[in-house]
Amino acid sequence: MKQITHSRPGKGEAPMPKALTNLISRFDSYIRTHKPVQLTIPPLIVLVIALIVLGGMYATTGSPVRLGFEFEGGTIITLDTKDSQDLLQQKFADYPVIYVRDSGSRKSIKFGPMSEDKQNSLTELVNTDYEYAAPEIKQAGALYGASLQTQALRALVISFCLMAVVVFLIFRTLVPSVAVVLSAFSDIAIAAAFIAVTGIELSLGTVAALLMLIGYSVDSDILLTTRLLKRRGNLDDKVTNAMTTGLTMTCTTLAAIIVMYIVATYSYLIIPTLPQISIISDISIVLIFGLFADLMNTWMLNTGILKWHLQRPRRRRA
Amino acid sequence: MRLHKDFRIIVFVLAMLIALIAIHPGYNSDEGFTSHLQYGLDLDGGTSLILHLDGVIASIDADPVQIIENEFSDVFGDVEIVDHSDTEITFRTAEPHSADAISAVGYGNGRIRGNDVALAINKQYVIRTYISKQLTCEVIYLGGDTYEIRSKVTDSELSDLLAGVGGSIKKDMQGKPEFKEEVTKETQEMTKKVLNEKLNIWGLKEIPITPVGSNVLMVDLAGIDLSTARDIVTTPGKFEIRVQTTNNTSEHVLWGDRITAVDVPNMKEGSWGVGFTLNDKGAREFGVAAVKYGAADDPDAHELIMLLDDNEVYSAPLNPRLASDLNGLYDLYGVDGDWPSRGLVANTGSGDEGEAEARQLHVHLSAGALPVQVTVVSSDQVPASLGTLFKEQALIAGLFALLTVALVIFLRYRQKNILIPMIATSVSEVFMILGFATLIGWQLNLPAIAGIIAVIGTGIDHLVIITDEVLYEGKIPSLKVYLSRISKAFAIIFAAAATTIIAMSPLLWMGFGALKGFAITTIVGVLIGVLIARPAYGRVIRDMLE
Repeated sequence: MKQITHSRPGKGEAPMPKALTNLISRFDSYIRTHKPVQLTIPPLIVLVIALIVLGGMYATTGSPVRLGFEFEGGTIITLDTKDSQDLLQQKFADYPVIYVRDSGSRKSIKFGPMSEDKQNSLTELVNTDYEYAAPEIKQAGALYGASLQTQALRALVISFCLMAVVVFLIFRTLVPSVAVVLSAFSDIAIAAAFIAVTGIELSLGTVAALLMLIGYSVDSDILLTTRLLKRRGNLDDKVTNAMTTGLTMTCTTLAAIIVMYIVATYSYLIIPTLPQISIISDISIVLIFGLFADLMNTWMLNTGILKWHLQRPRRRRA
Repeated sequence: MRLHKDFRIIVFVLAMLIALIAIHPGYNSDEGFTSHLQYGLDLDGGTSLILHLDGVIASIDADPVQIIENEFSDVFGDVEIVDHSDTEITFRTAEPHSADAISAVGYGNGRIRGNDVALAINKQYVIRTYISKQLTCEVIYLGGDTYEIRSKVTDSELSDLLAGVGGSIKKDMQGKPEFKEEVTKETQEMTKKVLNEKLNIWGLKEIPITPVGSNVLMVDLAGIDLSTARDIVTTPGKFEIRVQTTNNTSEHVLWGDRITAVDVPNMKEGSWGVGFTLNDKGAREFGVAAVKYGAADDPDAHELIMLLDDNEVYSAPLNPRLASDLNGLYDLYGVDGDWPSRGLVANTGSGDEGEAEARQLHVHLSAGALPVQVTVVSSDQVPASLGTLFKEQALIAGLFALLTVALVIFLRYRQKNILIPMIATSVSEVFMILGFATLIGWQLNLPAIAGIIAVIGTGIDHLVIITDEVLYEGKIPSLKVYLSRISKAFAIIFAAAATTIIAMSPLLWMGFGALKGFAITTIVGVLIGVLIARPAYGRVIRDMLE
């Protein structure tokens, strides 16, 4: 195996932490020892699997991911109560209870769609009998869930297309732009497939996270493409350099978001009174999946395509 | 150039000062830390509602002749159309009818000659009146063939209705029916105003009501639970005054839109009451109905009933003196005269009970006339105690995220000369976002906090790009090389920022605006980052490395 050297003499020298160095050198040697086309194969396989998962979900349930109450209509109530799940089931037997779950230190009860009168009486019941339990009530009308589904889909498509346009405007060359857009698409598809497989429900928060993923994913791709296209020097070295920066970026973001996920979801284990913050929890879990996918897509798929593009003999730039 | 004279540093310091003044952090022993930050209801406690205004804008065509034939046949048995033009329709009834009976159908007064009735018509008016009567809702003519129907009607219901009178919903160029479930901006604005008034009556000042799209209103009610919020907001509906005729039947007198002013409840001579003013049309309708249905002659047998959404909210006989006044006015002005507008008082009785009823009636009277009915699309109740916990926890999440970022950055660069400016820049970005939020007066809610944390993420990404670009090949560059590298770094950053902003923009509208806070924070945060904070970092980092 080849030796990797990025010596940084002088004052700017920054000895890398072992973990990051290891990660970079592993990736680096992998990229150097494989042909560009070989690099793109594993991410493409993962992308195809993700698309099959989403397609399969769509074929069986009519939607690529499980829809949360905002998209189907329904009610979610969380209560700070010691009442058992069974007791709560009984208490709300008159209403279309879908599940009663522990949500951190609180109990979370999900109801299906119901008439406006029924909703009002449920609200009344909760606000009187469980006033002590600091009830949080979220309701969404069934009719509007359908409209929200189209809106969410439209937002994703519009957002993605606008991003693609901006990327093309920035690079003005076909192959690099397609590479960036393809890896962003793959990030989203893989994150969505993870959502589908792990049974996380699609909420406004997860949709927001998917959109944000477009932004995050493009960050490191733009860095890579700019470095490879606009700098002189040995191609493999440029990749190594871009990777040092890019992996630092993704790792800081990933670390921050993992911490955010843990705090928003599991703080109650340390301080029992703290609730779960579902919107932050939703956003961060999707971003975690997406950023892991992004590591693979940027440094294998996108790098592979770019290397192939730059090594093609006939299209060599002057 | 000296640091303190650099343009980027000056902009940065100014922005920070503005943010500081806007946020106005303070501390006092009673309240602890204070600031001008405004929190959303998911952090402060309260209920937010998203309301859909039920209305339709459609292009409609129908045959006025068939409408008139159908409508009069319903009342008088079969009628025969004798003659019709664009401005007049003449029809024949089996037996002669009075002018009152003709005008009571609702299409104006006819000229009656024996069994023939000639009605002056106007196509739009006939169509409007017909739909309005059939759907019992207001219909506004918007010009062309377009009407606003203030009711929850589907296109198939409307098509069926129109098919009976030789009409249909018009199709556009692509052959799609011109039927949209929306209301006009004016209607939305009017609904907002009336709601606002109603909320003020409840003592809820400064309730933010935000219009979204063309038919949605978002209402944030601080410190109020969902049951009460729904009651307050959705109770107003169609306000109507009817008069009791015989036994249990009643006749329509007027709609709530005739009420021009409502006074606060007050007590006179031991009895609570609510004063309200009828405009000239309302005064006429009130007086004519009172005389016509006998309320003016025998008040006790013909009570006046106030209804809200067809539920009786108040009922009382006319005061005998008012009754005789109305008789006098009727003799003076008649059915068609210009009655002067008129103030009335609905008395509710004495004591606490009378007062409570008066207050309720006041609300009903004042805001009873919401222009359209509203449906609660979604609602969210967060109790204040839970909101406080969310606030604390979001703060913990933010701090821990920042510490983690600091740790990773330290592990990567091992230099506090890089670590400190980087983290300081990141914190300053958050500070400036909060300052901006306070300045434009938007509320910080959980989605907005998630947005801020997201901005910390992209911000650090960009600072890493700048640092690595400046440190490329490990050497501290000469000024010339440094400048060219900084501009390379910013080319990457601006490109990345542009894509993030573009990708976020659909969220401004999606979900009836539910994620607007998240979208705005991210977009504003990225802008503040690339335009103010990161240029300053790019300037400082060179000095720090020397």
